[in-house]
Amino acid sequence: MMGALISAMAPLPAPRQRPRRRRGLLLAAVSCLGLAGCNGRFELPYVLYLAIGTNNDQAIDAELMEETQGRLGVLELGYRQIHPESQFQFGLYPEAIISNALKRRNRAGLGPDLIFVNGDTALRMLASGVVNPFPATATQLNQFDPDDLDRIRNSRGQLAGLPTVLHTQVACFNRNRLPNPPTTVTELLAASASGHPVGLTVEPYGLFWTLGSLGALAGIEQAVAGQQPSAANTQRIEAWLAWLQNASTQQRVTFFSDQQSALSEFMAGRLDWIPCNSISLPRLRKKLGPNLGVSPLPSGADGSPPSPAKRIRVLALGSSSSAAGRARAINFANFSVNPLMQRSVTIGAQTVLPANRFVKVPVQSSTVLAALNQANQQSDRLSLIVKQIHYDDPRIAKSQALITELVFGEVSPRSSAQALIKMLRTKP
Amino acid sequence: MRALLLEVFGWLGYLERPTVLVQLLVVAGLVLAARAVRRRRLFPRLPRQAVTPIALSLLLACALSLSAAGLPYAFAGQLGVIWLGWYGLNLLRGGLLRWLPEERVHQLESRLLRPTYLVIAALLLISTVDSLRDLAVAPLGELFGVAISAGKLFQALVVIYLVLVGCGPPAAGLAWVLQGAVGMSEGSRKAMELMLRYAVVGLGLVAVAVQLGLNTTALIAVAGGLSVGLGFGIKEVFSNFVSGLWLLFEGSVRPGEVLMLDGDPCEVRKLGLRATLLWRDRDNAELLVPNQTFFTEAATTYTASDRLRRSQVNVGAAYHHDPAEVIALLEATACQVPRVLHEPAPKALLVSYGDFAINYVLRFWIANPLDNGGISSEVNQAIWHAFRAHNIEIPFPQQVEYSMVGPPEQHQSNRFQR
Repeated sequence: MMGALISAMAPLPAPRQRPRRRRGLLLAAVSCLGLAGCNGRFELPYVLYLAIGTNNDQAIDAELMEETQGRLGVLELGYRQIHPESQFQFGLYPEAIISNALKRRNRAGLGPDLIFVNGDTALRMLASGVVNPFPATATQLNQFDPDDLDRIRNSRGQLAGLPTVLHTQVACFNRNRLPNPPTTVTELLAASASGHPVGLTVEPYGLFWTLGSLGALAGIEQAVAGQQPSAANTQRIEAWLAWLQNASTQQRVTFFSDQQSALSEFMAGRLDWIPCNSISLPRLRKKLGPNLGVSPLPSGADGSPPSPAKRIRVLALGSSSSAAGRARAINFANFSVNPLMQRSVTIGAQTVLPANRFVKVPVQSSTVLAALNQANQQSDRLSLIVKQIHYDDPRIAKSQALITELVFGEVSPRSSAQALIKMLRTKP
Repeated sequence: MRALLLEVFGWLGYLERPTVLVQLLVVAGLVLAARAVRRRRLFPRLPRQAVTPIALSLLLACALSLSAAGLPYAFAGQLGVIWLGWYGLNLLRGGLLRWLPEERVHQLESRLLRPTYLVIAALLLISTVDSLRDLAVAPLGELFGVAISAGKLFQALVVIYLVLVGCGPPAAGLAWVLQGAVGMSEGSRKAMELMLRYAVVGLGLVAVAVQLGLNTTALIAVAGGLSVGLGFGIKEVFSNFVSGLWLLFEGSVRPGEVLMLDGDPCEVRKLGLRATLLWRDRDNAELLVPNQTFFTEAATTYTASDRLRRSQVNVGAAYHHDPAEVIALLEATACQVPRVLHEPAPKALLVSYGDFAINYVLRFWIANPLDNGGISSEVNQAIWHAFRAHNIEIPFPQQVEYSMVGPPEQHQSNRFQR
C-alpha cells in the first residue's frame, strides 16, 4: 500500500520500468500472503489493543516495559488458554497526556480497545468521549466495593471503567540501614534526627497520609466540601502545616518536588525512608533486593492512623473498536476481575490489591501484602477528599505551590492554613 | 527485535475495523486514480500538474464528509497531509533550482529533504497506531554488553546520517571563513574543508558511541581487533585512507593541485578516503588513483609553492642567420603571445649545432600549468610568423655532398658562405 502510495507520489514517469515495478509489487504481495500462512488464507491477527497510563512516578523505560509485560503476561496467559487466537499489543502513555494522545488516535479510528488507567483519568476520558461507558450488570458490579464504584461513576451514573486493581501508598525503607521502620510521625522525625535520611514530597497526594496521622483530615474534608472548618479543625490544619514546616527544617528530611525524584534518591541509597506508591515496588525490589522493607505509613503520636491515598486502576473501553474488538475487550476485562485471576495477580506481583472484594488477600503469608491491605483499609479515611479533588484538579497544583512555600519557610503555618482553606473551598 | 516485529505485525489487526478500511480505500483509490490519470492521459485536456492538487482536494472533501458523518477521518487526513507534503517537495525543487545549481539541488533533495520527510511521515503514522515512547524503549539486543533499544538505534542512525550528510555545508563555510581570515590558497581551503569534515564525522561517531553507552574498554577492544584485521585483510584500504589524510596534512595532493601523471598534467579534483580523483585535460578523462601511489612514489607537481610553470619550445634556424638576431626575435615573439608571462621574462638559448640547423630553445613562463599545450602551440605559431616576417629560415633536413680530393692532405673543407 505504502509502496503504491509513494510510487504514485513520485513525479517522474518511468514507463520503461513499469513491468519491473509490477513484478516487484506482485512479489511483495505474494511474500505477504506467504507470511500470512502456507494455507493461502490471509487472516488478520485478533489483536486486543491496550493503552496503559503511567503515573508521574513512573518513567517510561525498558524496565517499566518489562514490568508491564510481566504483569500483563499473567492475564494474557490465562486469557489465551480460553481464546488462543488472541494477541495483545500494549502502549504506555503518561497519564497526563493519555487523553489527548488517544483522542488523536480515535479521530483516526486507530484508538485502543482497552485503556488501563486510574479511575479519575478514566472519568475524565469518559467526559471527553475518549472512552465509552462500561456496560456491566448489577451482578458483575456486586463484586466491587460500592465506594470504589462511586469514585468511577459520572454524574449520569455511567461507569468509566471496570475496577481491576488497587494501588495504595505505603512506607518503603532500607532494611540495611533502618532495621525498624518508624510507626509514628514522632518516631519518623526521631529516626531522621538519629542520622537516617527521610524523603517526602510536596505533592499533596504524596502528603495526604499525614492528614490522618496529624488529625487534620476532618478540617480538610470540610474545606473541600466548601465549608469553613471549625476553629478546632482549623487549628489542626495549622498544626499539620507546622509539622511539615518543622520537618523541613530537620537536617535529614528532604522535600522533593515530585515522587520520581524521591524514588531515584531512595534507589541510589541516599534516603533510608520514603512514602511510596505500591506500583513502584517492583522497581525498588529490583534495585534494593532483600534490603527493601515495606510497612504501613506512620500513625500520629496519639495513635491516629494515617490516611494514605488509594488509586483504583480500571479497564475502560476505547471508542473506536470494531464490534469484534469491543466484544474481546469486554471479555478480557471481565476475565481480569474473576477471583482466580485477581488472586494470581495479587499474589504474583505483590504490588497491587484485588479490586474484587471477594478475593481475600493472604496477609499472613506476606508482610508486603499485609502492609498494602492495611493501607487499603486506612485509605478509606481519605475517600471523601479523593472524591472531591481529583489528581488533575487545579486546587492540587495550587496547594502544591503553597506547600512548597511553606517548607521553604516563606509563609507561616497560620497564614498558609488560611490560604489553603480558602483555596480548597473555591471549587473550580 | 522479535518483539518489535510482532508489534509491527500486530498493526495489521486495525484492518479489522471498517472505519480504518474505508479511510485506507479512499486514499488508495485516489492515489491510484491520480497515477492512472497522469500516466495514461485519461483526461488529455487536464494539465498533468493539476492532477495531484485535484486528487488532494477530493481527499479533503472525503475526509470532511467522514467527519460530518461522525466517522473517524484523521487517518485519511494524515495520509493526505503526507501526500501534500510530498507534492510540496516537488514544488520546492522548482524553487530551489532558481537559487542553486541542479547538482546541488539534487544532492539536497535526495540526501536530506526526502529522507527527512519520509522519516517524519513514518513517525507520524506510527504515533497514530502506537505509543512512540514505548516503541523507543523496545529492546533490540546487546552490543558490547550495552542494551540497545529501538529508540537508541534510531537516534544513533539519524545522528550518523545527519553528520555524514549535513557536515558538508558547515565545514565548507568554516573553511571559507578561515580562508578569508588567514589568507590561505584555494587548495588549502579545500583541504581544510575535507579535514573539517573528517573531524566532524569522527567526533560524531565517537559521540554516538558514547551516547549509546558503549564503554571505552569495549571500543579499545574493537580497535585492537581491527588492528589485526587491518594487518591482514583490509591493509590496502586502511593504507589508502591514512595516505589520504597524510597527503592532506602535507598539502602536496589537494583538490586543485596539478600533478604530472605519465607525462600528462592532471588536476586533482577530489581526495577521497581510498583514492584520488584526477582530471586529465588531454582527453577529459577522470582517473582514480589509490592514495598510497602518491604516498610511496615520486610525483611531479607544478603547484606546490606556486602555480607558475616554465615551459619551452624547440626550434631550429638556418646556419646563415646570426644567432643573436634569432635569440632576440624569439624572446620578443614570446612576449607577444597573450598567455605568456612577461615576468619572469622569456629566455631563448642556443643549445646546439645540428646537422642542418642551429638549435634554439625558447623558455617562457605561464600562469596555469594545465594550459601548457595550448600556449606552446600559440608560441610555435608566433615563431613561425615571426621567422617568416624576418626571413629567417627554418631549414629542411639537408646534406651537402662533395667530392673527396685526394690525396687527403690536399683536401679542403667547404668554406662557409653567406
